[in-house]
Amino acid sequence: MTARILIIEDEAIVAMELRFVLEDLGHEVVGSAADARTARNLVKEMEVDLALVDIHLSDGPTGVDLGRDLAQEDGVTVLYMTANPGMVRDGVAGTIGVLSKPADERAVQKAVDYALRRRKGEPVDYAPPELQLFA
Amino acid sequence: MPEKPVEQIEPWSEPERIAALRSYAILDTDREASFDDLVKLVAQICEAPIAVVNLIDEGRQWFKAEVGLGVRETPLETSFCAHALLMQDGMVVPDATEDPRFTCNPLVTGEAHLRFYAGVLLKTAEGLPLGTLCVLDTEARPDGLTEFQASALKTLAGQAMAQLELRRALARRRESEETARRAMNASDYVGAFDWDIPNDRVVADEKFARMYGVDPARAVAGAPIRAFTAAIHPDDFHRAQSEIRAAMDSGGSFVSEYRLVVEGQPVRWVVAQGQVYFGADGAPERFPGLAIDITDRKAMDANLAEAAAALAESEARFRAIADSMPQMVWSTLPDGFHDYYNARWYEFTGVEVGSTDGEGWNAIFHPDDQPRAWEVWRRSLETGDLYEIEYRLRRHDGVYRWTLGRATPIRNEAGEIVRWFGTCTDIDDLKRVEQSTELLSQELSHRIKNIFAVVSALIALSAREYPEAKAFAGAVRNRIGALARAHEFVRPHTDVSRPTVGSMTLHAFLEALFKPYAALDGAARVMLEGDDALFDDQAATSVALLFHELATNAAKYGALSEPGGLVNLNTRLAGDRFRLTWTERGGPPVTGAPTRVGFGSSLATISVEGQLAGKLERIWAPEGLIVIADLPATALSRRKAAQKAI
Repeated sequence: MTARILIIEDEAIVAMELRFVLEDLGHEVVGSAADARTARNLVKEMEVDLALVDIHLSDGPTGVDLGRDLAQEDGVTVLYMTANPGMVRDGVAGTIGVLSKPADERAVQKAVDYALRRRKGEPVDYAPPELQLFA
Repeated sequence: MPEKPVEQIEPWSEPERIAALRSYAILDTDREASFDDLVKLVAQICEAPIAVVNLIDEGRQWFKAEVGLGVRETPLETSFCAHALLMQDGMVVPDATEDPRFTCNPLVTGEAHLRFYAGVLLKTAEGLPLGTLCVLDTEARPDGLTEFQASALKTLAGQAMAQLELRRALARRRESEETARRAMNASDYVGAFDWDIPNDRVVADEKFARMYGVDPARAVAGAPIRAFTAAIHPDDFHRAQSEIRAAMDSGGSFVSEYRLVVEGQPVRWVVAQGQVYFGADGAPERFPGLAIDITDRKAMDANLAEAAAALAESEARFRAIADSMPQMVWSTLPDGFHDYYNARWYEFTGVEVGSTDGEGWNAIFHPDDQPRAWEVWRRSLETGDLYEIEYRLRRHDGVYRWTLGRATPIRNEAGEIVRWFGTCTDIDDLKRVEQSTELLSQELSHRIKNIFAVVSALIALSAREYPEAKAFAGAVRNRIGALARAHEFVRPHTDVSRPTVGSMTLHAFLEALFKPYAALDGAARVMLEGDDALFDDQAATSVALLFHELATNAAKYGALSEPGGLVNLNTRLAGDRFRLTWTERGGPPVTGAPTRVGFGSSLATISVEGQLAGKLERIWAPEGLIVIADLPATALSRRKAAQKAI
């Protein structure tokens, strides 16, 4: 199961590492954005299945609203990845959940897998423990 | 038909009339010849069986003199004279049986059988009627009195009044003598002197003589001024002398206060007053005057002055302190009425002095803070508890500044609150620093957390070049992950950044740390039990590394390496020790301690024994590894323990 994934992350090294992990898993990383505006533009230009969204971006803590908009308006499946999961403690409507950074490859793989299954409407028994789901 | 006089309304006030009557001091006195002779004469002239000097008192008429009645008083109800009193000068009733005022009078209808009445008023100089001189007859006299009789009655009434006036004059003289006598007795403190200057003879009364320690007999006869001035206190002597001289030179009146020292008496303060009179030649001739003992007053004045001075001094000292304080200082009455603010308050608020007395202070507060401040203040007033609150206070330039308000009640010996003293401290800068520090530490903490992620990514990227280092990189990244988690738990948090899972305790942290090891269905495989504890940033790294290593090891070789395996982690506070016991069950059988000590084990030992000052013990039981970390109770929260110790 391959997916078109957008990485929204302002730390280039973290974004690069994530890209490798995702590509190893066979996914297509369609791009990475360090701020909300770039992310919105990329989503308009190409088809995106899943966005991994950091909350603190280069233009501030804009990730929360960005993730909500991508999920609700652009039909993108959104998974937050942040060092500060407290920022989305109450959940964000339309998005899957939040993965705490740093996360190891296994955790990323399981979380992405879970999110994509949910997108396809496939039955999923259990979410990976590292992934904190929104209601 | 006799004319029916119309009765008038009293043109006087009855209390005034009664007071006037009493001033003659005649009621209830004995019979006196002068009045008795008067009524006898009236009776004879008027050929009447009854004649009376009648005084109308409250509720009765009282007779100073009478003939033909045999009593000294009768009630007012049956009185003829009470009616006469309402007439201008007097009243004549020729036949009482024909006068509606008296037809029912028992004295008319009864045994007394009175028919005729003629009375003339006894009036004071002010016109107040005291009573009458009157005659009564048992026979009606249609023609009344003869002209002679009427004139005699009037004259003799004047005579009676004159007698009364005489009495009053005598009574008044007695009274004034009494007043004078009392006044003289009261003048214990006043002595009089009269100095014949050319002959230098001071004639003084007994009181004056005793004050100055001169034999009274000698003083009455006259003694030189020196005999008296000798008693003046040495310290006051020259001043008194020059004041006497000045009075004689300038011809003015004389007033001088000085002390008198007389053997056998305590030192006394007197004020001497006098007037110098000059002879035809312009030379001073007479110098009469008084000396008044003012010792008691002086003592009182001194006490008062002392108290006033002490008060003024403490007041001045308080104001000096209050005004020099960097804080605003205020004070209220026990009911909370503000009646004092120091200079700083007016300087800060810029309000008119006095304009915030009473309850005006509340208006200077930020509108959003007013109800809260008022509420807190009212509670303190009710309970007497310390008042402490932060609010925004409007500065003179209209800027609201965060202010710390505090007040303490001052109680008297009975424990009642007599005053509140309060301060307002401008903490706006402090607040700002606090906020920016908070912001900075938030930002820093976030950066640190991010650095963990960056370092972790860097290691992963680096390892991509060297596939053989993949396992190594994974282990390092996991350790860094544990540290990042620990950091998340102990870093300064705002409400927003606080971790989503549980609270900031050891158990909450460990639960988060062990989450990756949960079963596929999410059920925990490391079971936590026992006493929870708070832990700080100093302990976090060690705790994170210790349990990360134990869990990783269990996942590789121990209980967590098999689906059915579990770990029980018991944390127990016992006295001053905190003991964590890690017990593995359901893993592959343990054959004994490993021959080689791995880096992970060393890391665990260093964490406990090096960092936490505890002891780490490993028991390789066949059914599973048991690890006991025995820590000082304070190890998890050293900073807090240190604070407590202070």
